[in-house]
Amino acid sequence: DGGEALPAPQNLSVHSANMKHLLMWSPVVLPRETVYYSVEYQGEYESLYTSHIWIPSKWCSPIEDAECDVSDDITATVPYNLRVRAILGSQTSAWSILEQPFNRNSTILTPPGMEVSRNGFHLVIELEDLGPQFEFLVVYWRRELDTKEHAKVLRRGGIPVHLETMEPGAPYCVKAQAQVKAIGRNSAFSQAECVEVQGEALPL
Amino acid sequence: EFRFGPCRVEGVALPGLWEAFRTVKDAVQVQDNNTSIRLLRCEVLQNVSDSESCHLVHDLLKFYLNTVFKHYYPKIAESNTQPSFSTLANNFVFIVSKLQSSQAGEMPPDKDRARRRFLLFKRAFKQLEIQAALTKAFGEVDILLTWMGKFYQL
Repeated sequence: DGGEALPAPQNLSVHSANMKHLLMWSPVVLPRETVYYSVEYQGEYESLYTSHIWIPSKWCSPIEDAECDVSDDITATVPYNLRVRAILGSQTSAWSILEQPFNRNSTILTPPGMEVSRNGFHLVIELEDLGPQFEFLVVYWRRELDTKEHAKVLRRGGIPVHLETMEPGAPYCVKAQAQVKAIGRNSAFSQAECVEVQGEALPL
Repeated sequence: EFRFGPCRVEGVALPGLWEAFRTVKDAVQVQDNNTSIRLLRCEVLQNVSDSESCHLVHDLLKFYLNTVFKHYYPKIAESNTQPSFSTLANNFVFIVSKLQSSQAGEMPPDKDRARRRFLLFKRAFKQLEIQAALTKAFGEVDILLTWMGKFYQL
């Protein structure tokens, strides 16, 4: 060990989608050595009132990967400062701080994955489970007969939900949108999916 | 969502604040020796009209951020509950920022009534020795959250 200082991690960035926030950086590569990292955060409160205070990340103090899931650390819709340093044995690098504070309201919201099926005459939907912060607006309609849309708000995903009892002879279509109250935003609607019950349409 | 009269605050999960506060309170082992005294007394929080509520919660949360939390922080650090405390404090910062933006053009009489309630609380706080006051005020966050809960809708 030539006594050189351990280089600090570079190129910090946050990739956030569907309220899952991943802090990433370029790994510090040393031949035949395993470098670890330590991540810390401070919210707007800490930076305003106790700026010397940084809090160790829940899952990454320390960590071997060059990325850290900070979703459980970011618990308010305010700007957060994030920093990371390298660790090699007793040696630690300088801290590298994320250039721009991160606010969870910038997360990318994608249309939710969904499975539309029929169980006998029942129109059933199962939405992707995106976690407790997500609700879903489900819109469904019977194509051709009338285009009157019906809407339902589902408080969580991951479980099949009965939407409607279908009549034979016309497809029923469904689309869904994810909603996150914590940041007051919605995703785009998913592509509509349609199912049909075989058989003659009942006389009016 | 909170609705303090005309002031609406979306984006804060009240159950999350309760969980954060309980985690801290359990760990900090609050030694409140003045159990006969209460800072957030009935005269401060009872029969608060909707239109007063926005001003009152704004003043109370600002006081908690500027005074109580700031000076109580050493106890938080000792008890290793910074993550939970950070959740509570940063959500208070968020609420205050939202209240501030929706308070423009409020009716003076409501503001004055709310101000008098807040000053009752502040006077009671100042009458105690500082450490005792900080401990008591921090311990009364549950009273504050209970009152805020009246303006909360899922």
